[in-house]
Amino acid sequence: MAKDPVLVVLFLRGGADGLNLIAPSGDSDYIAARPSSLRVVRKGDDAGHVLSHQAADVDFRFHAQAGGLSELFQAKELAVIHAAGLTDGTRSHFDAEDRMERAAKGATAGGWLGRWLKDADPGGELPALAVGTSAPESTRGASNVAVAEELEQLIIAAGHDLAPLLRDRLNSGFGNHDLLGAPVKRLISLSRSLQARLTNPATGEFGPYRPAVGYPQDNELSGPLMTVAQAIKLDLGLRVATVDFGGWDTHMDQMGAFADQTATLSNALMSFWRDLGNAREQTCVIVMSEFGRRLRSNTSGGTDHGFGNAMLVLGGTVAGGRMLGDWPGLANDALDDRADLAITTDYRHVLGELMARHMRVKDTNFLFPDFQVQTRGLFT
Amino acid sequence: MITRRDFHTGLATMALASLAGVKLSVARETREDDLFLNRLTFGANAANRKEFSRLGMRGWVEQQLAMPAQDQALADRLGKVRLLIEYEKGRTEEGKPWAALSEYRSLGYLGKDPAEMLHLLDFDEPLDFSERDRPAYEVIVASLVRAVHAPAQLREVMTQFWHEHFSVNSTKDEVTAVFFPSYDRIIRKHAFGNFRTLLGEVAKSPAMLAYLNNDTSRASPANENYARELLELHTLGQDNYFNDLYDNWKTVPGALDGMARGYIDQDVYEVARAFSGWSIGDGRELDDGSYAPQTGRFHYIDRWHDPYQKRILGIEFPTNSAPMADGNRVLDMLAAHPGTADFIAAKMLRCLGIETPGQSYHQHVADVFHSQRNAPDQIAQTLRAIIFHDEFTATSPGKMRRPFEFLAAIYRAAETEVSPRTDAFQWMLQQAGWRQHQVNPPTGHSEHSVDWANTAALNGMIRVALESHSEWFEAEAGSLRTPPKGVNNFGGLASHWEHRMNAPTGALDGVFEAFEVEPDTPLWDGEDLEWVSNGMIAVLAVTPDFMFR
Repeated sequence: MAKDPVLVVLFLRGGADGLNLIAPSGDSDYIAARPSSLRVVRKGDDAGHVLSHQAADVDFRFHAQAGGLSELFQAKELAVIHAAGLTDGTRSHFDAEDRMERAAKGATAGGWLGRWLKDADPGGELPALAVGTSAPESTRGASNVAVAEELEQLIIAAGHDLAPLLRDRLNSGFGNHDLLGAPVKRLISLSRSLQARLTNPATGEFGPYRPAVGYPQDNELSGPLMTVAQAIKLDLGLRVATVDFGGWDTHMDQMGAFADQTATLSNALMSFWRDLGNAREQTCVIVMSEFGRRLRSNTSGGTDHGFGNAMLVLGGTVAGGRMLGDWPGLANDALDDRADLAITTDYRHVLGELMARHMRVKDTNFLFPDFQVQTRGLFT
Repeated sequence: MITRRDFHTGLATMALASLAGVKLSVARETREDDLFLNRLTFGANAANRKEFSRLGMRGWVEQQLAMPAQDQALADRLGKVRLLIEYEKGRTEEGKPWAALSEYRSLGYLGKDPAEMLHLLDFDEPLDFSERDRPAYEVIVASLVRAVHAPAQLREVMTQFWHEHFSVNSTKDEVTAVFFPSYDRIIRKHAFGNFRTLLGEVAKSPAMLAYLNNDTSRASPANENYARELLELHTLGQDNYFNDLYDNWKTVPGALDGMARGYIDQDVYEVARAFSGWSIGDGRELDDGSYAPQTGRFHYIDRWHDPYQKRILGIEFPTNSAPMADGNRVLDMLAAHPGTADFIAAKMLRCLGIETPGQSYHQHVADVFHSQRNAPDQIAQTLRAIIFHDEFTATSPGKMRRPFEFLAAIYRAAETEVSPRTDAFQWMLQQAGWRQHQVNPPTGHSEHSVDWANTAALNGMIRVALESHSEWFEAEAGSLRTPPKGVNNFGGLASHWEHRMNAPTGALDGVFEAFEVEPDTPLWDGEDLEWVSNGMIAVLAVTPDFMFR
């Protein structure tokens, strides 16, 4: 029996510079607008990884530090949708994130994942996991989201001798409290099942997660992605996981910071994907950010908030190795507001296709109200 | 004393019952003093309940508003803190060595002039990075001591509020770290004062200038980071960002009649230009090979400034204005803007526990903030408008204590002497999602309860409660190891903590088994007693009664 599909939403907080991640390295407008330190370049030690020779006229390449992404792309498991994003006119992080994660206007409640979780009510011990210390806006409206950086954190007072007492008190003390009632119940039930699964019966101690492959050390994304991999493999009924990866707001001295961020993303994602093993068939990862960054750099060696951006979709059933969506070009007249990469693919087309094809949602209208999802051919 | 007014009307009681569910606050009334004290301090305790009852509500609030930013007893207490600093030996790039170190050191940077700390920014000096960011950690540790022990509690609550409003990650780099003690002093000093004054001090503070990159902003294109957050987070707020509605300044309502009602990206670009050249006098090398002066203060670099005409919120700025005039004028406009008053009023209400104020309550607070914009005590007047309003008392406790507030409230209720020797408490708070003075994005922590009502924050707070008095936590000085006066058995100990934590009598019934004692078992002392007391405190802390204010 085919396993239920899992969707991992990896959000790059701060506005990742898509024009430094996957760019037309030979485009004359691109070269004119930025110093080489903020570009994907074609020659030398830092030359980017070629996407495809078919788009050779402007020579699209991945950033030099995105070797893992390039490998996944060549393996046809990763697709790129460029010039995508939120078409509402906002260049505020928090406003853009809110709008994207709600993916609805007006009175529609919750976030797009929250609406699905509420409607599908997938059951299971851990239908949704937000890795971190708070749940993103996209899951708003769902009461079945667990939040933790590591699964062990879902065990009440793990290892503390007063844990049973606290558990009893939680059980009797919160009832249907409107804010804490649901998280208390979820914590108690998850605590029970994780305690059983994560404890080594011989020693009574928590066994650490043993991934199938090594993850990069000193990489802030390794831990969160290991948590997701562990949750998928534990068969807890996980359907949706969210991971936030911050630090992309590179207003200043972008060159070194962006290279580090990109290496972190690319290397950790590669390990995660290998670690999943057979679970790759049932898993899709969407990598997105609230907006891209200005084509022209500022005088601090950085870039300010922009508009269109690249989205990445990684999945065992994805028709990868392709760059989808129309590329509008970087000529002054082609830019949004004569400043930023224009958007030719509303981000909801991408999410909608994922929900329809990967998550097998029959009608995505309630996820993205007042919006007609058109597939971009992520899955052939 | 004011009366309880409509707090106990049927409607309020019903709301309370549905909130509390089973058997919680329905049977229990929130004491009126605690309703105020839990919102206006880091937690009610025996001492401030006594003060509150002696002075009456208004008298107590006025006493709090009159307390100065400096307090000798608190300064003495902070002077006794010894915080660990520890590192391995190492070398600079030029090979100058430093020795390994492990010592408990006083908080010497708290009152220090940053001009005397600039050597921490000099990478030719042989210093481990722990020396360079030490000033930030001193403020972080001091903030817990202040939250627990400061007599001027309301000032401390508002200091935390403004820190969150003008959030700076103190350990973003060595520059924010070195300037963080002076930043903390600015905020505490003006916590009850005038918003425009505070805004101006923040705009010129090296910590904020470095955090949001304005220190490197010059024409042209200027760095927009500070400009955007000034509008979105510090003054007008996200609700007054109209970029999705208008793409030309002329079309923004009000723009042709003296002042636009909100802002669009074109305003952000122009504000960034207005602040180009606002930098830091920290001796840094400038682009032309000269050096900034070593003042440890704001430094304006005129040749970095974009001097040409600007148009902001529909208002024309002439070319070649006097030094800093463009930026100062922007701050004047924003501080006086009604949109700022709306935004700050809602945030202050939320901070004090009113998450969903009625429209007229919110409007009243915003009106006071706006009409008193030139008053030196504008913020204090706004606080009075919030606290002395009927709706303040009529709103039942529904605001969740956030992890730092929760920890401080535990220590206050337990009357624990807090004197951290390490920053272990900070690490523990992080498990619950709190990073005191170390939040990366400029939004600070969420003020909304709904963002904290999740498994991670909940389990993290349980952990915080359980570890708050454990030895490794090193935040307190063993005050639970001696039996409380007049208590000689565990039943008495349970009553003692029920009283201190303001829990109902009998709340600890049934816990004795977990400690393997009977109520009439004679009391132990030392670490064993500490373990039981801490366990009892944790059980009482992890309840809706204690977690909501």
